[in-house]
Amino acid sequence: MIQIPPGAFARPGTSLEFKTGTWRVERPVHQRRAAPCHSACPAGEDAQAYLAKVELGDMRGAWETVVAANPLPAITGRVCHHPCESACNRAQYDESITIHGVERFLGDEALRQGWSYPVPIPGAEAPRMAVVGSGPAGLAAAYHLLRGGCQVTLIEAMPAAGGTVRTAIPHYRLPPDVLEQELDHMLALPGLDFRLRTQLGRDVSLEELRADHEAVFLGPGRRKGREWSADFAVPGNLRTGLQLLEAWVAGGTLPEQPRSVAIVGGGNTAVDLARVLRREGVEQVHLISHQRIPAPGVPDDDAMRATYREVSQALEEGVTIHEHRGVRRLILRGERVVGMELVHMKKLEDAGGRLRRVAFEGTETVLHVDQVIPAIGQDVDGTGFESLVRRGYMEVEPWWGTVNGQSGIFSGGDARSDHGTVSEAVGDGRRAAAAMLRYRAGRQLEPGVPPEPIPYSDLNLSYFETAPASKEPVLPPEQRLGLEEIEGGLQANAVRHEAHRCLSCGDCLACDNCWTLCPDQSVLKTREVAADGSHYVFDYDYCKGCGICAHECPTGYIHMIPE
Amino acid sequence: MALALEGSQALARTVALCRPQVVAAYPITPQTHIVEGIAKLVADGQLACEMVSVESEHSAASVALGAAAAGSRAYTASASQGILLMAEVLFDISGLRIPLVMTCANRALSGPLNIWNDQQDSMSMRDSGWIQLYCATNQEAVDTTVQAFRIAERCELPVMVCVDGFTLTHTLEPLELPSAEQVDAFLPAYTFRHGLDPSDPRSLGTLVGPEHFSEVRHAHHQAMMSAQTAIEQADADWADVVGRHCGGLVESRGDPEARLGILTLGSVLGTLEDAMDSDPELPRARFIKLRSFRPFPADALRKACEGLDHLIVLERALSPGAGGIVGPEVQTAVIEMAEPPRVHNYAAGLGGRDLSLDLYSRIVQAAVGAERPREFAIIDADPELLPESDR
Amino acid sequence: MNEQPLHHLDTLRARQPRFRGLESGHRACQGCGEALAARLTTEAAGPDVVVANATGCLEVFTTPWPQSAWRLPWIHSVFGNTAAVAAGMEAALKQQGRATQVLAFAGDGGTFDIGFQALSGMMERGHDVLFVCFDNEAYMNTGVQRSGSTPHAAMTTTSPPGELRMGKRHMKKDILSIIAAHHIPYAATASVAYPSDLRKKVRRAMDTEGASFLQIHSPCPLGWGHEGAKTIEVARLAVQTGLFPVIEMERGELIGTLPIREPRPVSDYLKLQNRFRHLFASEYRARKELEHLQAIANRNIERFELRGIGSEAYDTEGADTVHRGGDRWA
Repeated sequence: MIQIPPGAFARPGTSLEFKTGTWRVERPVHQRRAAPCHSACPAGEDAQAYLAKVELGDMRGAWETVVAANPLPAITGRVCHHPCESACNRAQYDESITIHGVERFLGDEALRQGWSYPVPIPGAEAPRMAVVGSGPAGLAAAYHLLRGGCQVTLIEAMPAAGGTVRTAIPHYRLPPDVLEQELDHMLALPGLDFRLRTQLGRDVSLEELRADHEAVFLGPGRRKGREWSADFAVPGNLRTGLQLLEAWVAGGTLPEQPRSVAIVGGGNTAVDLARVLRREGVEQVHLISHQRIPAPGVPDDDAMRATYREVSQALEEGVTIHEHRGVRRLILRGERVVGMELVHMKKLEDAGGRLRRVAFEGTETVLHVDQVIPAIGQDVDGTGFESLVRRGYMEVEPWWGTVNGQSGIFSGGDARSDHGTVSEAVGDGRRAAAAMLRYRAGRQLEPGVPPEPIPYSDLNLSYFETAPASKEPVLPPEQRLGLEEIEGGLQANAVRHEAHRCLSCGDCLACDNCWTLCPDQSVLKTREVAADGSHYVFDYDYCKGCGICAHECPTGYIHMIPE
Repeated sequence: MALALEGSQALARTVALCRPQVVAAYPITPQTHIVEGIAKLVADGQLACEMVSVESEHSAASVALGAAAAGSRAYTASASQGILLMAEVLFDISGLRIPLVMTCANRALSGPLNIWNDQQDSMSMRDSGWIQLYCATNQEAVDTTVQAFRIAERCELPVMVCVDGFTLTHTLEPLELPSAEQVDAFLPAYTFRHGLDPSDPRSLGTLVGPEHFSEVRHAHHQAMMSAQTAIEQADADWADVVGRHCGGLVESRGDPEARLGILTLGSVLGTLEDAMDSDPELPRARFIKLRSFRPFPADALRKACEGLDHLIVLERALSPGAGGIVGPEVQTAVIEMAEPPRVHNYAAGLGGRDLSLDLYSRIVQAAVGAERPREFAIIDADPELLPESDR
Repeated sequence: MNEQPLHHLDTLRARQPRFRGLESGHRACQGCGEALAARLTTEAAGPDVVVANATGCLEVFTTPWPQSAWRLPWIHSVFGNTAAVAAGMEAALKQQGRATQVLAFAGDGGTFDIGFQALSGMMERGHDVLFVCFDNEAYMNTGVQRSGSTPHAAMTTTSPPGELRMGKRHMKKDILSIIAAHHIPYAATASVAYPSDLRKKVRRAMDTEGASFLQIHSPCPLGWGHEGAKTIEVARLAVQTGLFPVIEMERGELIGTLPIREPRPVSDYLKLQNRFRHLFASEYRARKELEHLQAIANRNIERFELRGIGSEAYDTEGADTVHRGGDRWA
């Protein structure tokens, strides 16, 4: 029984006996939400998570976070069109984080430092999985299967690994030493049985692979050029854009030296080739696209598929782009092209609501060129799995990549009709690997849901300051003549600057705001990271549920939920 | 060695001997000479003390409260309106059980304005929870002041030493001041048990709800009642040092055989003693000096009243609409006696009204001559000065 | 959820890397700005202090006997005498030769109104006391009555709007200028929306010898009529609009301000609070009072030269910037 002292003084801190937590009708909880960069990354990288590690100076940890999704950051850091940056909430504040620059830095740093992938060595009894094709999709699938404790047989028809990344990306975008180093690094993983010059349908059958392995991933890419003609005319020297690009990437030269060229198409192959031609001294390089130059504000379905960065660099380098144009007919002298008739075109919704290309009569123009190069895409070469190819593509379940109508066969990457970038291929491989592991375990494949990104409006921007983004050094257009990489990497301090700029959307920034602003001393700071990944715990014995912590959380990491 | 000193100067020097670490005061007649005296001693380096000359009595009491709570020996002095302005703080000081000492240079209250002596000011603080000790002489004021610090610190209660304004504060009397050694031995350095201390950070002045408030008040009341022992003990101990008594709680003087008693508080006693001594024809009286009004020493009072037929309670304050303030309390106390005296209650000497020698015979005649106890009266009021309706 | 065994939380609480001058379990309302301000102040002040606290919410919600939320020596006496009690403590500690610092806490009633005389006297005498006014702009403890600090046109229970009135008729007392006129070495304002600035000013004031004064704008969700979660947002807007200038004065001279990077219209601040709800009625006198408050804000900005020049680390936008790891608040 407490007794009243003279004057009824009280002892320090005895208010702890009074549990104000009983007043609460709502409680704050930590709830990590996906950052927009994470949601937008086709490969599934959580940029917010690795930027956080970069900011703390933990470069290796950051790289390990990257390669938890994507084993090839040195490559994707260079070639990806970084939708993460378009989605970045910071873009609405000042400028998006230069995420690809950080990714590239981490990829390069891992190669420099020789950091090993955090992947276990599979035991002799580990399940065996097969992967066909060592492009980004196949590599990612193989890698994630290894991460999942499997042994992997990876077959490649070509004499070297890499697929499109090796054959069709110009060296000025992806220097060969980076490519070789990162591929070698990954391919050296234990448990990987990598067989070059091994073609499905010729050296091994799909049935044999299925028999010897628990599941098969097909990453054949798209290597079969589509037939192309304009008004039924085909020039005698017709070569596809991919053929020319591959020839140039492999040998550094082109078979012909025309003065003026028209490339038909608006994808990365078309743009890459246009830039190669400029480097090879072709004076006039025209790009004919049904769509528009991608730029902020241009809707996706009306924008060229090539990335904004590549297109703008092509423009800087003197490529002429004809937007919203189609080829009506070729003007031939014998079998030789001397020009083409273009017409203004646009996609319009028809009566049934479907988008159709419409050519507008009376807008025809003539363009004089020495050569026409179609770069309108390729189809899957289905040798060895002909029955699985429909209309030139693999038809798959969009999330897990299960080939329609098949069991234990998965696919992804360019072989899908809807994917055409390296990062998408990596993401396909990663999810397919997860699907293969589940398949083997006899588990149901629940429909996959991409993480819902935390919107800009859920952040509290009062706590941030504007700061310009670090920009990579870019070779001026007049110096872009050879194979030299156009974009330099970010320096370590710039990388840290970018990490420092990251708004940490949906994740604890450990900024102390909740700890500082709780009137009730009910947010306690932990020395080590708390179980939920933050640096704080709520003391619900005293938390009154006022909601200041949630309202003032800069990153939207704290939520109020009803008791 | 006897010194001829003005009461205020004697008190200033006595307070200094008690070594207060903080003195806070706001000037008011007739208290001024006391704090001026202390200020001069501080200025001359004869007293190591923070002299805080505040902007109001409210702050004077508050500074003293803060200083005492922070563990220092603290002192203040006031009178009249100053006491009233302090009122809420005085209640707080005692309720928080903070020991400090205040001199009340007793003076009438406004309005109308009157700067002269009566005891309405301290009487208005009757229920403030302070110990109130009334002094009959300047020597008693000096000795009581020293004792007051001892009592306050032992009991953890504030003590108001009531000294009649002008009558004592401005009067030159021969008196003896104790030596520094005597006071130091009597008042060793003091530590407030439940003061403010960062190494043991208590919270003082909490909010006490209905479920505990009666107990807090009970404890305060008990502490006040128990203080009677401490008051008597301090007087006895101080007498051992200086050879002078102040009368403990209640002192009986005059004719011990007399059947008539006169109870007074403060300096009026001397006037009455002189009056009785001046004329052997006058009826003899036993003088009962009520030194401790709070705590009210009912037992000691009954003992002092044994054998009395009549007891006149002469006050220098009143409760308008009721009568005396001390009288009814005395009446309540003596009623418990086997043969209680008949109690007569008068007020006199209000607002500095001169107490002449014939006061003695007037009150004795009024009381003893009466068939039954006369109603309370301001006995020296002149009805001639009043309109008919107010007589 | 974060359900953890109690002993773990107890240990964690005991190991918090800051001084918990004001402990959990106090009974302030949800989202109380004053509780936050007091927590931040005592945190910055550290344990070697003694505190005198005026009557008011802070006193009542921290010390219902037998409990106290304080972990520092603390005393409440009465409503109007806080500065004097603090002065007495300071005099005592000085005489005892102790370096313990003295703080006085009061609401706006205990500062602007009933406690003003004692405060003025304390400052005039130059006691080494930091007087902190937790300014929530009305008598909240007694149920939201107007004080000398209540802003013009605000609704309180004793300044209700009606046919003849649009809330408080009078202006908010410019207490800081009055304080500064005492020629004290340091007087400043701060806001709970800028905790680093607040704590820095507490430390600065305590490092200053002599009387110092800190007025902390502390929203009262109940009295102002806003959600408890919005205490910081409301406080920040008060600063960003210019209605609550965050400034520092030394010896009566303005020596520093928290510049406003981009002043916000006062309506952004007012519309979040029920006490100004009547100003948003569609009638002339409402529009007029709204403009009146905007003019007051403009006048503040002009008078204290609050308008920032570009972006600065120390301005209304920069001063609350957070960083990973939280060093910002240390």
